[in-house]
Amino acid sequence: MINIILNEWKMLVRNRVFIYLTIFFVLSLILVVWMGIIQNSTQQEYRTNAQKHVRKQWDNLEAMNPHRAAHYGSYAFKPNNLLNSMDGGINDITGNVIQLEGHVQNEIVYSEASQSLSISKFGKLKSSLLLQYVIPLFLIFLAYGSISNEKETQRLKLLIFQGISMTRLIFAKSLSIWIYGLSLLLITIVFQSLLISSDPEVFQRLALLILSYGSYYYIITSLATYFSARLKNNTSALSAILATWILWTIFLPKIWGNAVEKIHPLPSRMAFKAAMKEERSKGIDGHNPTDKRREQLKNKYLTEYKVDSLQQLPINFDGIVMQEDEEYGNLVWDKHFGNNYNILQNQKGLYQVSGLLNPFASLQSASMGFCGTDMIHHLDFLKKAEDYRRVLIKALNDKHAYGGSKTGDWGWKVDSTFFRSVQGFSYNAPKINDQIGHYLIDILFLLWWVLLITFLIKLNTNKKIIL
Amino acid sequence: MKNVISVQNITKSFKGLTAINELSLEVSTGEIYGLLGSNGAGKSTTINILLGFLKPDSGNASINGIDTTSSFNDARKHIGYISENVNLYPYLSGIENLDYFSKLTGKNYSDKKLGEFLNKCGLDNSAHHRRTETYSKGMRQKVGIAIALAKEAKVYLLDEPASGLDPLASNELSGLLRKLSSEGAAILMASHDIFRVRETCNRIGIIKNGALVKEMDTSEVSTNELENIYIEYMQN
Repeated sequence: MINIILNEWKMLVRNRVFIYLTIFFVLSLILVVWMGIIQNSTQQEYRTNAQKHVRKQWDNLEAMNPHRAAHYGSYAFKPNNLLNSMDGGINDITGNVIQLEGHVQNEIVYSEASQSLSISKFGKLKSSLLLQYVIPLFLIFLAYGSISNEKETQRLKLLIFQGISMTRLIFAKSLSIWIYGLSLLLITIVFQSLLISSDPEVFQRLALLILSYGSYYYIITSLATYFSARLKNNTSALSAILATWILWTIFLPKIWGNAVEKIHPLPSRMAFKAAMKEERSKGIDGHNPTDKRREQLKNKYLTEYKVDSLQQLPINFDGIVMQEDEEYGNLVWDKHFGNNYNILQNQKGLYQVSGLLNPFASLQSASMGFCGTDMIHHLDFLKKAEDYRRVLIKALNDKHAYGGSKTGDWGWKVDSTFFRSVQGFSYNAPKINDQIGHYLIDILFLLWWVLLITFLIKLNTNKKIIL
Repeated sequence: MKNVISVQNITKSFKGLTAINELSLEVSTGEIYGLLGSNGAGKSTTINILLGFLKPDSGNASINGIDTTSSFNDARKHIGYISENVNLYPYLSGIENLDYFSKLTGKNYSDKKLGEFLNKCGLDNSAHHRRTETYSKGMRQKVGIAIALAKEAKVYLLDEPASGLDPLASNELSGLLRKLSSEGAAILMASHDIFRVRETCNRIGIIKNGALVKEMDTSEVSTNELENIYIEYMQN
């Protein structure tokens, strides 16, 4: 088998077109990775600076009422994962900054797609585009004639007569092309790792990317070689593998994606907001002194502090009401956003199941996941930003309630010393070890396809296909 | 002399059409047998059965007593096969092609030994290291025979080997085959080239509609007589 692989390589490197194309691919990949990293670090620097600027503004707030500061709020900027430069995943279409303020959970805004026509239409040029579409297509063009050429020139009879089995020949030809795809992948990964940090987390993610892409390239090259062996001629083999590739990369993802949205539909933005508003209205209205639930809370605190009026309370009841309102709002948000979160999780899970029929779906899911740019990672950021918003607003409401002011004293102010004491927002992306469970199904389906095609070649090829 | 190639009463049909009908022939060591027939007469089907790529409906074919259908892997070790067009790898030189195909049989020859095989088959030293994309058909045939020679095959199956060769190359091929047979090889050559078969072979069989209609020693007939016999059988 080694002889066949070496021979295939010897012939490939003597083919000028192949050499030119390889140079083109290697340069393209290096350029795209390099540009991606520069773009990523520029964006990251911009966001870090923006986050620092927001913090600086917060630290230097003029003396003001804590509740006014809660409305002033803060901002959370979504940091780019280091591997965003390889696969942007959904980052281009989701926003990257979220305003954090009292009473309300704002949506994340300012997606890149909303600010650029070309990004909204074509997406960004990342190495994943080359690794997922262009290189597999090139591998197909290298593999589709690997056996049918031998058949058409009658060299196959001679090869078989020299003692090589049909199965071994198919595997050897397929492996020689797979090694080429793997080499391009490794060049990309090595260049990527040379230019970014030496964080073990990144290396772990890169190793998983090698496993995923390596498996997919094996599937593509083996299937193309199998078609090349089984079908009558080059044209049939190329048509069959291209039809499969188009089905996997264009039709099935769309069809399955639409089906998933029908099976697990998300409420529309209008319906989501209306349901939130309705449920929220059942809680305390922090700014309405005639609200019945506020009255009940007031009586509770008057009883607790054994006083007759709010003015006699040693605390500021307005701060208590605000926090109560906030906590009720949080429950409503958790319920509705939690429902959306579950639907999104279900959608992702069901989409991942399509890997049983479509290894490309598994590759895409794994690639985004391991680059930290998929829905799971995005939802994690939203959750952490919301957690921080709650901590921030609670700190302000507690200061309002217990900081020394009296109920109704809206003119009471705290100075910047207090604001500086409130911890700023910082986000650490989840570790892949904690998230791997989400992507096991993708890896398993890719391995299932590797086994399936290996068995297909092993069991379904013999010397009869020579004639 | 020992019968090395043996075909006994084989019949083969494709979708109801009989390609080979009760065909029997034998080739001994040191013998070159010419299977002469028109296109579609069944020559290639016979070769494919002997190569083990086709299974006869009835009868059996064997090489050195080994059934080519049931013991394909054992039988092929003894066979050198040269097709009408020996298509080598164009980006490799003659010697690289020979080296590659030899390694597939588990034989690892030195460059010197590989060169000797090519020389024995009449390929000039100057061509050994040239890419085969520059070779003529005759030169490729020589490399094809060198591949069989390096495999140490004792049986040669040739399917229209002289087709498309110029007279000089064709003559060289005949000489080479006669040399191999003199060293003990058994050769079966399917062809429709009456002159080349008469010049090369010891024995000739005429095949028509899958059946062997006439067998003769070459010494019994001149080229003209063979042509007349062939035409007579084809017209009847």
